Amino acid sequence: MELKLYDHIDNAYNRKNEFLHESALIHDEIARTKDRKIRAALKTKLQELEKGKDFHQYIQKLRKYELDEKTFLDNLKKETEDFKQSLKGVNKQEEKLKLKYFIASKEVEFYKPYVDLCYDAEVKYKKAIVIFEQMKEVIDHLEFNLKELENAKKAVKNKDRAKESAGKKAAKIRKAQVEKDFKSNLLKLKQKKNEGLISVKALENEKRQLVARKKKDISIIENSSIPSKYNKELVENKTYETTKAIKQKLAVIDDNESNVIRTVPIELDKNISFYAIATCWLPGLGQYLNKQYAKMALFLLGSFFIYCLAIPYALGFGNYQADGIMSLVTLADGASKLDKSMIYMVEGIISVILILLSVSIFIISYRDVKKVTKDAIRGIRPKNWFETKRSILEEGFPYLVSLPALVVILFIIMVPLTTTILLSFTNMDPKHQSKFQWNGISNYLELATSEGMIGTVFWAILSWTLIWTIVATSFAILLGFGLALITNNDRIKGKGFFRGVFILPWAIPAFITIMFFSIMFARQGILTQILNAITGLTLDIKNNPMQTRIVIILLQGWLGSAYVFLLSTGVLQAIPADLYEAAQIDGATAWQKLARITLPIVLFQTAPLLIGQYTFNFNNFSIIYLFNGGGPFNPSVYGNLAGSTDILISYIYKLTMDNQQQAVGAAVTMIISLALMLFTFIGFKNSKAFKED
Amino acid sequence: MKKKKSNLYLGDRQPLDTLGKVGLGLSYTALILWTIAILWPILQMIVSAFNGMQQEYIIMNGGFSFSFKHFEYLFTETLYPKWMFNTIFISVSTAIITLIFVSFTGFAYSRYRFKGRKASLMAIMLIQTIPSFAGLTAYFTMYSIISDVVPFFSRQMMLILIYSAGGIAGNTFILKGYLDSISMELDDAAKIDGCSNLKVYKLIILPIARPMLAIIALWSFLGPFMDYMLPKIILTSPQSYTLAAGLFTLINDKENMNEPAFAAGGLLIAVPTVLLFTVLQKQLVSGLSNGAVK
Repeated sequence: MELKLYDHIDNAYNRKNEFLHESALIHDEIARTKDRKIRAALKTKLQELEKGKDFHQYIQKLRKYELDEKTFLDNLKKETEDFKQSLKGVNKQEEKLKLKYFIASKEVEFYKPYVDLCYDAEVKYKKAIVIFEQMKEVIDHLEFNLKELENAKKAVKNKDRAKESAGKKAAKIRKAQVEKDFKSNLLKLKQKKNEGLISVKALENEKRQLVARKKKDISIIENSSIPSKYNKELVENKTYETTKAIKQKLAVIDDNESNVIRTVPIELDKNISFYAIATCWLPGLGQYLNKQYAKMALFLLGSFFIYCLAIPYALGFGNYQADGIMSLVTLADGASKLDKSMIYMVEGIISVILILLSVSIFIISYRDVKKVTKDAIRGIRPKNWFETKRSILEEGFPYLVSLPALVVILFIIMVPLTTTILLSFTNMDPKHQSKFQWNGISNYLELATSEGMIGTVFWAILSWTLIWTIVATSFAILLGFGLALITNNDRIKGKGFFRGVFILPWAIPAFITIMFFSIMFARQGILTQILNAITGLTLDIKNNPMQTRIVIILLQGWLGSAYVFLLSTGVLQAIPADLYEAAQIDGATAWQKLARITLPIVLFQTAPLLIGQYTFNFNNFSIIYLFNGGGPFNPSVYGNLAGSTDILISYIYKLTMDNQQQAVGAAVTMIISLALMLFTFIGFKNSKAFKED
Repeated sequence: MKKKKSNLYLGDRQPLDTLGKVGLGLSYTALILWTIAILWPILQMIVSAFNGMQQEYIIMNGGFSFSFKHFEYLFTETLYPKWMFNTIFISVSTAIITLIFVSFTGFAYSRYRFKGRKASLMAIMLIQTIPSFAGLTAYFTMYSIISDVVPFFSRQMMLILIYSAGGIAGNTFILKGYLDSISMELDDAAKIDGCSNLKVYKLIILPIARPMLAIIALWSFLGPFMDYMLPKIILTSPQSYTLAAGLFTLINDKENMNEPAFAAGGLLIAVPTVLLFTVLQKQLVSGLSNGAVK
């Protein structure tokens, strides 16, 4: 037990509870002395003090105060009730404020003599003072404006025709004056312009200002002299005053109250450090014990989610088909014929996610209670709802606004992803579609040792995928960069035309061009015919593995170069010319300028995007699938499932979609995803974006 | 002392020697060759789309007669209008949903230093690299569960959800990068004047981030136009296809085979996108490089 109390910024306060003060003194001494005898003596002294607690002078005063307070509160309740009766017919909001004011005025009287007795009385007294001093003005403001509002509303209803037309007439005259002034001002301006004193732009600006001023003047005239308009605006104004303005004023009072709470410490005479552990099983309970009732309601919602949704679901109640977490173990083994393992797996994963969410609610609640009780023991008062709300909206804001995104990512990305991970450890294949079992790492083993129908072709496909990725992307990059370099030469004329043409492959949706090229490279297609005519061969591009491969690499060069061209053109244009001039003076050759200036700058600025091009092509499903469906088939090397241009992603597509080899497909997916993640992780770990934060 | 005018060299560049002239000539040759390489296939597509002599297959030497036959076929015999509508529906929904999520997360990650920020940023980064096909098998099961519980949940909605969820991670990064480059003083000034966090978002961040949000919206909008794989997998009936999936049936299905009609349909999509990309190329590229380079 500490000798002093502290608030949230470590200001020390003396204890008011004399009994606690004495015992704290003894505690302090015990801690300081090393002599055993003195220690024992002090301990017996402490015990005596504890024994004599009920007869302690201060404690008796405190008890009396507590009794008084109880009777006071009982009386106050009745008086408030009576006061409420007398307020009949008053606006609800006003009634509420007046009641608050009434209660505060009584509290000020009652608590004043006890301020020195204990901090609880002090805080109540100071809070009441805040309300007592500041609420009066709010009530007056509200009363006044309510009256005005009512009058204005009445005036809107009872239209006085004579006054209205008179007002309109007056407004007309004044408006005419404004119009006249406007015109004369405009004339003056134009004169100034003609004399050459101001520029055209200045004239336009001034004109705009004049028009705006005229509009404003006219609306002021109308609102002030035409009764109907005047009243309408008045109603709007007063409605604002009675709602939002009052709200702001009340917020100020709340703020002042919270100031009081922050500066008056709390002094506890009972041990509450066990609250956090004792109440962790029911979020909301600890908050109730800490007397934070609104927060309790929030956490009770969490408890509701845990006990009425997450746990029952995880135990198998309310499932679509499966039985909660257990379904991950059984995978519908032994369930009825209609039940599918796949559904069991997905629901099992959902159960796990719900449980994880529950656990995080438990932890949040536990931490909250622990922090509040720890602070309270030290002297910091628990926050009231106004403060809690504010801290949720301030510190909790980033969490609150990212929460929807988190939920969507959790269920739309994480659930399918986890399913794929788990699926790769099962034996889901054409024979085990509706029911499958856990299978350990045999899928991965099959792939690694290249055994079985799928494992044997995996490495062949992987190597083609890598060749494809590296060759096709590098080709596109070289092509795009080379073209950008040539086009950027200042001796070249017609740059705009060339640039416009060169980005076309990027601007046309790729699937259209791929499909059209696929048509043109068919056996009877135009391009095949032309190539045949030129080379004198009879090409059959789509049925010859080597030819198809060359063609799709060229095609990707055609498609991908446009993007690289666009990127590097942008960078090239931004390189300052003086760099080259300096190099020129130093006697650099064209090649040196390219290698020492251009290349480093372009590479440095576009590197992440170029790396992105490699990953893009690694996963470029469209071009492989749309050009030739991954074919031509070559069963001797690629088995019955894949063709000779299939890359891993189109292979996965064929495994899962066409051949129901979901488990192996998942295993391949996992390998790809892990490789990609590693690739990006290494790339981005050192990037600026992470280092700066 | 008179100098002949023709001897006077007036350029601010050095005069070209023979080698330089050859080089320039080669440069022009390369550029013109590549121009042909790009324009010729596109021209072929345009010609085939308008060539009334082409039958189901596009072949050479079929002659040329101008006609709108293939466009007519596209709109009367195929589901092209329906595909167009589907694609626009999916694209617009995806763009809106992505925008709502991302504008908040980008704001939060750029402006607040909260617990778990860095870790979750890294997680976002990694999630973003996982291709959307990774969850392929589960999507079906999830769809069958959701559509059984909520009957009006269509496959297109599933697709929209997948697209938007997939877009959150990457676009958060892009928007965060963009907002990071804008000084925090604006926010602080607004806060001193009494703006709540939400008001800062509404009055400061949204207007400032508008260019980047427009780019994000545009990319999310174009995604479904360009994607073939997911629509092909998730949508099962031709009635619900998007353009990419639908047009592929015109060159792949033996029954619906009509290559000139495909060319016509492709042309109709290509024209607006080419216009869009040409006009907005700077903004579109800056969006990408902002997110990546930063």
